Amino acid sequence: MALLERMDWYDLARTTNWTPTYVKESELYPPEMSGDFGIPMSEWEKYDEPYKTTYPEYVKIQREKDSGAYSVKGALERSKMLENADPGWISVIKAHYGALARPEYAAASAEARMARFAKAPGQRNMATMGMLDEIRHGQIQLFFPHEYVSKDRQFDWAFKAFDTNEWAALAARHMFDDMMSTRSAVGIGLMLTFAFETGFTNMQFLGLAADAAEAGDWTFASMISSVQTDESRHAQIGGPLVPILIANGQKAQAQRMIDIAFWRSWRLFSVLTGPMMDYYTPLKDRKHSFKEFMQEFIVNQFERSILELGLDRPWYWDQFLEELDYMHHGMHLGVWFWRPTVWWNPAAGVTPEERAWLEEKYPGWNDTWGKAWDVITDNLLQGKRELTYPETLPVICNMCNLPIAATPGEPWKVRDHALEHKGRWYHFCSEGCQWCFEQEPERYEGHMTLVDRFVAGMIQPTDLNGALKYMGLAPGEIGDDAHGYAWVEHFRQKPRAAA
Amino acid sequence: MAQFPLVSNFQGDFVLQMLPVDTEFTMDQVAAEAARHSVGRRVAARPGSVMRVRRQGSNELFSRGLTVAKANLRPMECIEVIWEPASAGR
Repeated sequence: MALLERMDWYDLARTTNWTPTYVKESELYPPEMSGDFGIPMSEWEKYDEPYKTTYPEYVKIQREKDSGAYSVKGALERSKMLENADPGWISVIKAHYGALARPEYAAASAEARMARFAKAPGQRNMATMGMLDEIRHGQIQLFFPHEYVSKDRQFDWAFKAFDTNEWAALAARHMFDDMMSTRSAVGIGLMLTFAFETGFTNMQFLGLAADAAEAGDWTFASMISSVQTDESRHAQIGGPLVPILIANGQKAQAQRMIDIAFWRSWRLFSVLTGPMMDYYTPLKDRKHSFKEFMQEFIVNQFERSILELGLDRPWYWDQFLEELDYMHHGMHLGVWFWRPTVWWNPAAGVTPEERAWLEEKYPGWNDTWGKAWDVITDNLLQGKRELTYPETLPVICNMCNLPIAATPGEPWKVRDHALEHKGRWYHFCSEGCQWCFEQEPERYEGHMTLVDRFVAGMIQPTDLNGALKYMGLAPGEIGDDAHGYAWVEHFRQKPRAAA
Repeated sequence: MAQFPLVSNFQGDFVLQMLPVDTEFTMDQVAAEAARHSVGRRVAARPGSVMRVRRQGSNELFSRGLTVAKANLRPMECIEVIWEPASAGR
């Protein structure tokens, strides 16, 4: 018997809505889970996914993808990548796994919510496969680093980070909980798949794959490229929701959710991906600067996507573009200075040659960020390493949970954006983070940053050891300079003025 | 005398920092404590300059001998510590 072509039966097979008789529609699709915005079912049924695939096709392709990634891993297991790669690159993969492996499971849960509660049948169909994607991403990104755990305890944080109160894990968890775990099917579609995945996962999974290949880490490169092929499919879940929302008078709601998720994603990538690309990846292996990758994947592609869908640029777009020049430099300096508090070893990335590259990519770097690194370098040259460690905590933003930082030196752009709400003072790093809070204060008002917890006496003793204990960082796990400060020797041989 | 948390925004530095002080500290002592976390760590010293304290966003400097208790600051308020050439000192 001849089989029908896929497109001859696809539309019929995924038209799975029916008229419930035993329960009300609002019980089958509770508004808080579905996010219906008062839009009738017939409108949601107009949802048309741009990427159509069936379960048999999906399984066949996924099997091939997994075989490919695991084969590369198997073939290169004796390549001694861990022993031979630059320590800066090792820090890239440690930070990556800790920050992203476990959130993949949260993403699977979010996709499952769409698969069950989305009113659009096509969205449910895509999300079913998206859910399986995310389970795969969780498993593969826990399995790949597992072989390194016996050689280096920091790799244990691939699994452990999200069970701790480590500050970067808190920041990531706060953001992912906001867009994955606590939103409706429509909210997840817009915030996770459209804003975060269309916009940002390209940066981490394609941009970084390019750097990985240059750094000779073919296992990581093939694994994250494999992940990204799934992302590029299920990232398309959110887009078709936008025309439905616009046609039914809900453009402002769609815009607001995307604007919140985009801003929050930008903050997380500025601390995670920015330092990886511009400081940790060995200079010879860098394909582009973080800013150049951002301009390619975000400024060009994402901006075009939102405009094509009939939305507007986020109100903070000019501020975002301005921040591309400085935000991640501050995150990097903060992570390096407070390095005992992270599960990886930050590479300083400021040899004379690297400083010259930074100055070329970010004109003015030497006169601003370079001034701070001058003081640090001089202290190390003079054997005063104790002055390159902090004796207090940075103040943390009540939205992104990251240090409130900006350009130092002559421009000195650091500002506290403070807000009094119900008798409590909140501190924000920017108008963007404050705006996110003000959109729905009751969602965020109860959360305490690490600094709030410190002030409240929840961290004892009130010193670095107390903080490390609170964050779950054991000896052998706490971060230190990736290269054991060897980079400082370049300055004994080459005066900084030549940089 | 009591512990009092402030937020330090030190001129030329890149990050806000927690600044635990005492309510009896004068503004000169507050500035010195803030400097301990910035100057010589990420901000170069400026010999011959005096460090002065003001509320964030204000152009008015606190007088150097004013105590924290009398400055009407709230806990975790952001203060700016700025360099003033010694000749301009009051």
